[in-house]
Amino acid sequence: MSWWSTASIRVRLTGWYGVVLFLMMAIYATATFVAVRHEFLEQLDDQLHDDFEAAEGHLIAGADGRIVWSGERHHDPDSDEERGSDVWSVSGEPIYRSTASASLPPAAIAAATAGGRYESLVINRSRWRTLTGTSSVGGRAVVLRASRSEDRVRAQLWEILVVLVLGLPLVVALASLGGYTLARRALTPIDHLASEARRITADRLHERLSVPNPEDEIGRLATVINDTYARLESSFDQLRRFTADASHELRTPLSVIRGLGEMQLNRTRTPDEYKEAIGSMLEEVDRLTSLVDTLLRLSHGDAGTIRLSREALDVGQLVRDVASSLGILAEERQQTLKVDVREDVFVTTDRLVLREAFANVIDNAIKYSPKGSTIVASVRADGERAVVDIVDEGPGIAAEHRRRIFDRFFRLDEGRSRDRGGTGLGLAIAKWAVDVSGGQITVEGRPSGGSVFRIVLPAAAPAIRNPHRDREPQLKGEHV
Amino acid sequence: MRVLIVEDERKLAQIVESALQAEHYESVVAPTGEDGFFRANAEAFDLIILDLMLPGRSGLEILQTLRQRHIETPVLILTARDGIDDRVLGLDLGADDYLVKPFALPELMARIRALFRRGRPSDVLRLKAADLELDLVTRRVMRGDAQLDLTGREFELLEYLLRHQGHLVSREMLAREVWREPRRATPLDNVIDVQMTRLRKKVDADGVPRLIHTVRGVGFVLREGEP
Repeated sequence: MSWWSTASIRVRLTGWYGVVLFLMMAIYATATFVAVRHEFLEQLDDQLHDDFEAAEGHLIAGADGRIVWSGERHHDPDSDEERGSDVWSVSGEPIYRSTASASLPPAAIAAATAGGRYESLVINRSRWRTLTGTSSVGGRAVVLRASRSEDRVRAQLWEILVVLVLGLPLVVALASLGGYTLARRALTPIDHLASEARRITADRLHERLSVPNPEDEIGRLATVINDTYARLESSFDQLRRFTADASHELRTPLSVIRGLGEMQLNRTRTPDEYKEAIGSMLEEVDRLTSLVDTLLRLSHGDAGTIRLSREALDVGQLVRDVASSLGILAEERQQTLKVDVREDVFVTTDRLVLREAFANVIDNAIKYSPKGSTIVASVRADGERAVVDIVDEGPGIAAEHRRRIFDRFFRLDEGRSRDRGGTGLGLAIAKWAVDVSGGQITVEGRPSGGSVFRIVLPAAAPAIRNPHRDREPQLKGEHV
Repeated sequence: MRVLIVEDERKLAQIVESALQAEHYESVVAPTGEDGFFRANAEAFDLIILDLMLPGRSGLEILQTLRQRHIETPVLILTARDGIDDRVLGLDLGADDYLVKPFALPELMARIRALFRRGRPSDVLRLKAADLELDLVTRRVMRGDAQLDLTGREFELLEYLLRHQGHLVSREMLAREVWREPRRATPLDNVIDVQMTRLRKKVDADGVPRLIHTVRGVGFVLREGEP
């Protein structure tokens, strides 16, 4: 069993093929042999019947009332040894006995009937088939027996059996060899695929397996593997980009701190100048700290080590909270931040995490929308889902950037967003927060300009979605 | 007030020491776990500032042994470990407060003051600074003769600044104490800055001495005269 389970697929295929073929052939050969044998013996009985009738024709009633055998001894001398005819009177006296059948014992006279009876006899290791019956010649009854040797038929059957029994393993062996060759030919592309795949390592991820025919099974397998490589390559690229971006983002404040320090020390300055420089350095430290905090949070998120509390949250209430907290930023930019809660809908997730998602998306909308524009955050229930749309009148996001907008450190416009205090991680945090809450975040463009950020979350059981909120104060979001 | 600083990072220990001196607290630095443990056992302190990752003996071990020997000196843990589990473990072992590195000095000082204040109920109903007066019962705020019209958030913000008057208040502290939200990973800094600007416009209107000052890179302070 252990050998079998470790054997290569083509050996196992051939093995199964051989066993099945052998069984099929054995059944087929047995059936053939049984049919042929039956046919041969039937034929022999027919011939006996003919012989019996022929023998009847040879009997003549003599003038003296005796019955005599009138025929030649036999019309076919070659087969004399193999067939014979005997005639007895009803009293058991032999009237005629042929030479071929001389060795056979006399027939059982009393048992003979008019219809005739077939019988097999073994005499001196040779098998005979006989047909014994009564007949009447000139009004006198006689007992007639036709006999034929079965030896020839048996020999023929034996030959057929030998051919079948010897031929069967030969055929199975030849077919298995053919099967093995076929299996090997069919499986060679897989070996080929494996050796090609082994070649593609982390630093050669841009390479792909060759696909001679994308429609066949091997082609489909290769296509699937290639797709996997493509995804792997893109994750590797993302990781590489992230590492590069992260070090860039971390180095910038570091160089500012270093530069400021070095500059201040190259000559004596007034206390005010020092204060200014140190304050500036502290600002950079602050930026660095919040960057490291955010990165750590994301990496804990990636590793799945952030423990989330799960509570039923009123989405509308949470969006209102966030909007009232960030509303002051919109006010500063003379923007209108509207919250439109169409239905009460609850989700089960971590409050702070979901808050991060809403806060970052709304903050993003405030930051990149022009002064005096309107931002609408709407909450509605859609079947088993809670849908939050944050619609702005900003410049919108080009379609080719929409996929990457949630990537870490992805920025549409380097300088501008850094001036506005962005770390380039806000939307990445939002995406992470929505993901761990079991939802999806997408961005769409609007025909009239601006973007729609859509957050779709699985809604909590309808039982909790009770419009009479006064009766369920524990579900209310905590007011801040 | 005597404070024991158990911290192996020399620069950090010095910074904390000078910050304590500036507030007129007496302080002793123990650079290893062994030394810290020995001193905490042998001498009387009003507060122990304890690092967790120390050479020789870990901070948690020191804390545990102190509490087993019924030495109930307040302990403030200062560490780079910020996991919830670490905090819970530290507090469960008998620490009184927990601050994660990198921390803002004003916050450390505020927490130390809070620990010293603990047990003494504050029955303050009015908070005052110069001619600014905030009534916690009627929620009225007067600057000189003029009554200030503040929003709820502005009132809370001013109350917090007044409670910590003369001391620096970081954005981190405001986020947690006034907004009651964690500051990290949310765009709260801008909100705090804008709110502070508005509050300052109302409190420090033209022609009156400024009370609310921004200390660049650190935070804010409410104080008479120069910051």
